[in-house]
This record gives sequence, C-alpha cells and structure tokens, in this order.
Amino acid sequence: MANLKELRGRIKSVASIAQITRAMEMVASMKLRKVQAKTQAFRPYVDEIRSMISAIAAKVSGEGDVPLFQAREVKAVGFFVVASDRGLCGSYNSNLLFGLKKKADELLAEGKQVKFWVYGRKAYAWLTRRGFAVERFFVEPPLDKADFTAAKMVGQALVDAFTSGAVDDVRLYFTRFQSMIKFVPTDAPFLPIRTIAVGDKAGEKAYAQDFLLEPDATTVFNRLLPRYLETVVFDAMLQSLTSEQASRRMAMKGATDAAVRMQKGLKKVYNRARQENITKELLDIVGGASAVS
Amino acid sequence: MAELHLRVVTPDRTIVDRKVAGVKFQGVDGSYGVLPHHAPLMTAIAHAGAAVITELDGKQGELFVSDGFAQVQNNVLTMVCEAGEFAHEIDLVRVKAAEAKAREKLAGLDRLSADYVLAEASLRKAMMRELLARRSSGTGSI
Repeated sequence: MANLKELRGRIKSVASIAQITRAMEMVASMKLRKVQAKTQAFRPYVDEIRSMISAIAAKVSGEGDVPLFQAREVKAVGFFVVASDRGLCGSYNSNLLFGLKKKADELLAEGKQVKFWVYGRKAYAWLTRRGFAVERFFVEPPLDKADFTAAKMVGQALVDAFTSGAVDDVRLYFTRFQSMIKFVPTDAPFLPIRTIAVGDKAGEKAYAQDFLLEPDATTVFNRLLPRYLETVVFDAMLQSLTSEQASRRMAMKGATDAAVRMQKGLKKVYNRARQENITKELLDIVGGASAVS
Repeated sequence: MAELHLRVVTPDRTIVDRKVAGVKFQGVDGSYGVLPHHAPLMTAIAHAGAAVITELDGKQGELFVSDGFAQVQNNVLTMVCEAGEFAHEIDLVRVKAAEAKAREKLAGLDRLSADYVLAEASLRKAMMRELLARRSSGTGSI
C-alpha cells in the first residue's frame, strides 16, 4: 500500500514539473519573439551604416593613420563575452564557455595575456571560478533589456581598452544564431579593424560612386566609425540573446516532453500495482468465502 | 509635384519612410536644405539636430535627430541617427530630467576633459528637444 501512495506522490510531482517547464517554454518563446522583433527593427540601421561606411571607406586615404586600423604586436588579447544571466537554457552557456576556455588556454600557453569584458552573469561566474580576471562585468542594463545605449557603452569600453594599449587585439565571443535549432559559438575579430562587414550582405545596394561629401571624407568617416563598431557589438548581443531564448525554449520543450513521458510510465506502473492489490483482495475474499462454506 | 523619399532610421525603429516635399536639417558644418532631385550627398548631422520636414501638402513638421548621418542617393534622403523623435512626441518631463542631470554632471567636471564634452553634448540635446517640444505644442519659446 505504501508503494501506491509513494507512486501517487511521484506522479504528482512529475506533473507539476511538467507544468513549470511548459510555462518556462512559453515565456522563452514570447521573449524570443520580442528579441526577433528588435533584431528586425535594427536591421535597416545596420544596413544603412554599413552601406555608408563602405561607400566612404574608399574615399578616405591613409586609413593607416587611424589608430583603430593599426595592427600591432599582440601581447594582450581582450575578449568581449556574451552569455546569459540565467541558466536552464540547455548547453548554450557551456558550449560557448568551453570553447572560450580552450582559446584562452592556447593564448596563455603562447605567453599572451588574456582579458575579459563580460555580459551575462553565467559567464562571469564561470570565468571567476576558473581564476580568470574579468576586466569589466556589465550588469546594467541586463542583457534582455539591453538597447543600443548598452552597446554604445560596451563599444566605448572596448575602444578605450584598445587605444590605451591595455589590449592589442579585441575579439567578440558570442553565439551566432544560425537557425531555430542551431547556435554557433563564434569568435569574431573586432579591433583592430580588418574588414568592414556586419550582418548579411544581401542588402547591398548599388550606389552612385560620385557624391558630395561635406565637410570632408575624414570627418564623416571618423564620426561614422564609432557608430559602426557599436552596431557590430549590438549585433553580437542581439544574436546571442536570440540564441539564448531559442536554446531555452528547446531545452524546456525537451524537459516537458520527458516529464510527460515519465508521468505516463509512472501511471502505468501505478495502475498495475493498484490492479494487483484489487486482485489480491478479491482472491482473499473468494478464498475466505469458500473456506467458510 | 516633385517628391523626395525620406527615410529616418534609428536602431530601434524606422521613424519615417515616405514621400515628402523637402527637408531641412543641421549638419555639422551648417544647415542643409534637401529638395527633390538633390545631387548625391553624404554628410554628418549635428549632435543635437533638428530637421524640418515639408510634407507634400505643404505642412511642416519638426523632428529631433541626434548623432546621425544623412545621405542622398537616387532621390532618397536617408537619415541614419542614434535617436529621433517627432517634436509632438517629446516628453517634456523626461527632457527636463535629462537636462538637470546633464547640468549636474557639468558642474563637477574639468572644462578640458572628454567627459565635459560628452556632458555638454547631452545638455545640448536636452535643450534642443525642449525647444522643439515647446514650439510644437505652442507653449512659447524658452
């Protein structure tokens, strides 16, 4: 009998877990839609900035004079890492962070310094636990509320670190959102600027080669450059965020399915046990009755 | 009537994407007026800029734009800015708060530091916003 009671309890707890994971799945898909809308709204801006900078880059002579373009001997590498603030999102964080660890170990073995700028509590906790020093941990605003201002702040911090000579190479380490089920940890070079590319190239438009430039190419270019870097950072943040939510949705869906399956199995066992009890009792009664008569 | 296609794009949304009769805005080196069939152009918009849009029916509307770039190509004027708002959308309470914050920051800074320049820019933006908002709601100038 105790067995039956125990089974009832287990069935109940599994059912409530399924309920929770189902709710989390729903929340994740809602958030995912939100992030995707944000990405959609951001797309025209990226396209414009990119087309402008590529149109103007050709006009600027002496790119080499701009410090952000100058490659120098790499002594210290800075990583901007984007992970999630919360767990329960499948292998999203561990995929990213194990790859990062490998990279960092390689660089350390080569005798280079590694520094981290981090978005996402999970990455911060992970790195500090493994004894890496985190240069700056961005908490405000939290990643899922981050807007362009946050990207601006990050971009500024990275550019400052590069120009001050604290690091000689800045890389973005984030998760690229390839499809609803595929997220690729990506290590993208950021500074010094090597090529100008962000987002997909599909929106490339043909522009007249000759246009007026006021006041002059260098002035516009120098103002455009920080904007461009910010869009690259924001793009990385948005892609990571999309991957996180999609990954969480997938993980929670898996958990819900598993819980439902488990509940079914438990129910079968429970029913069998119950039936066995009834049969046993019936046999007892029949046996008792035949003994009396 | 000749038309000019105007697009105002910010990171959060595309604010304007339609035909207009003309646009005036402030560039870093002075005021620009763009009419239909303007020659191809690329320039930077002032940190705290205002754009005046002349609609096809002759009405005029004001738009706050900051830290942006303007480009004319194929009779399309694209303004890519970090922030943009129609004058009637501006929230005066928030603007006042931003202004107070900027002033407070300015007071404690060295005149030659980079932060001073940044704070001054945000003060300018707040003041430009206020100016536009007041002008559009008819509550008089500052």
